[in-house]
Amino acid sequence: MDKNELLTKLAECVEFGKVNKAAPYPPTMKGQDGADELTKQALEIGIKPVDILNDALIFAMDKVGEKFTQKKIFVPQMLISAKAMNVAMEHLKPFFQSGEVKRKGKFIIGTVSGDLHDIGKNLVAMIVEGAGWEVIDLGVDVDAAKFIVAINENPDAVVGLSALLTTTMPNMQKIAAEIKSQFPDVKLVIGGAPVNDEFRDEIGADGYSPDPQSAVAYLNALVA
Amino acid sequence: MNTTSHIADLFKNKYSLLSFDVAQISISREKILRGLGMQLHDADEYLLDLIEQSVSVAKEMLDAKGGYIVTDEFSINIDSHTIEIQGMMFDTHKQVTLLLKKSECLIIFACTIGDEIEKESKRQMALGNALEGYIFDLIGSEFAECVAEQIHNEIETKVAKKDLKVSNRYSPGYCNWPVSDQHKLFSVLDTANCGIKLTHSSLMMPVKSVSGLLGIGKDLRRVKYKCDICTDKNCIMRKK
Ligand code: B12
Repeated sequence: MDKNELLTKLAECVEFGKVNKAAPYPPTMKGQDGADELTKQALEIGIKPVDILNDALIFAMDKVGEKFTQKKIFVPQMLISAKAMNVAMEHLKPFFQSGEVKRKGKFIIGTVSGDLHDIGKNLVAMIVEGAGWEVIDLGVDVDAAKFIVAINENPDAVVGLSALLTTTMPNMQKIAAEIKSQFPDVKLVIGGAPVNDEFRDEIGADGYSPDPQSAVAYLNALVA
Repeated sequence: MNTTSHIADLFKNKYSLLSFDVAQISISREKILRGLGMQLHDADEYLLDLIEQSVSVAKEMLDAKGGYIVTDEFSINIDSHTIEIQGMMFDTHKQVTLLLKKSECLIIFACTIGDEIEKESKRQMALGNALEGYIFDLIGSEFAECVAEQIHNEIETKVAKKDLKVSNRYSPGYCNWPVSDQHKLFSVLDTANCGIKLTHSSLMMPVKSVSGLLGIGKDLRRVKYKCDICTDKNCIMRKK
């Protein structure tokens, strides 16, 4: 396979969710190499990591996002594609670390103190990572101090706060205030079932996203 | 004999703890698909198989428990939109207060499916299997609803013997009833809490748990829940 063929094939694997050779999904690609094998091969034949990232992986995830918005695919396909993308990204990790390849930016995310819900936050983290961002996941029950430490270490990061109960929304408000008072320029985006754009306005956050796709759109617009 | 003690006679104890027969707990794949933003015709065989397999794995992990108390020590205040139960004032808000006003007895319940399914969901997520993890989470939620439904059905059957009816069930955190009232609810429930712990922020642990209130009386009605009375436009369970 030449360079272009390989990148096209890799992009297909991500678009249709072929994670690796052993993966049963999608049935039409059974037994074929997946994102895992093809990324390794691409690096072996000397394709530049940055080209793998942009021309295959991000290119494919953009298509996935587009198809999702047009309701041509649904959450499951989206999650399988994100998994294929993230498996491929594992091979690129050394190049991210060396600084040879850069992601779109950093995204710190956590569920606010008092709240232990993580499924929504995890889905957002995974999709944002799949869209080419470096995600720093602080977990659940995260207080302002922990967010501040992470921002100090990554001052250019965008910060995402999640809450699922109305009782933890006041904590979100406190954390937002604390972050903004120390880092007025840090962009804050919030999400979770009980929050909305009105609440975002009230607590002085910059963005509210009801789902991972609009969070990606928000983040991408910041770096466009 | 007044009506309320007549109802209380139906329940052997003031507190009841229930355990469930796994075979009775079933969920439809349509419900899981709805959580994934899909309808049956959108799903391929791979997904349907995955859901089916996950449901049978999850069934083995079920540790369903429920508990409730029945009480006639309450007063419903239509003007202040509150219900006082055993000296505890619940800020139930207009809708719930009105819907329960004809109650002759109240049932306060809580139920859970345990934390095994939740752990499996987290384990899958940590392995990078977001779809599998999310499906387990959705199954857990659905099982929890299912268990609450069974408690409701059991009480309905029981009171029907005396020609009484049940209302719908209402939970703190819905219909403007603040979720912080969970603390009062759990103090009324007392030992019927079936091991559920409440955090400072009113979160029940295990997470896949449901609590609530329902009425018993001659003039009550249980009606099918309709999405159009709810204002939550982003709800994943909303029927499109
Ligand atoms: C399924 C469900 C349940 C299940 C499971 C709950 C669970 N926590 O796992 C069961 C039946 C057990 C349940 C119980 C209860 N529930 Co409930 N439940 C829901 C429901 C229908 C879906 C929640 C869900 O799992 N969604 C799927 C996940 C993936 O979505 P998500 O977490 O919201 O995350 C998405 C987005 O919000 C966003 N997002 C999330 N975080 C972030 C962060 C950032 C930065 C961004 C950009 C985006 C983002 O992206 C995610 C992916 O799409 C919601 C209604 C709804 N609107 O969705 C109510 C809801 C969460 N429940 C609610 C309530 C009140 C309860 C109970 C307190 C009721 C009771 N008294 O029994 C209990 C509490 C349970 C407990 N442990 O304390 C309220 C909470 C709000 C409030 N009033 O406090 C809700 C919002 C319903 C409502 N409209 O009032 N519930």
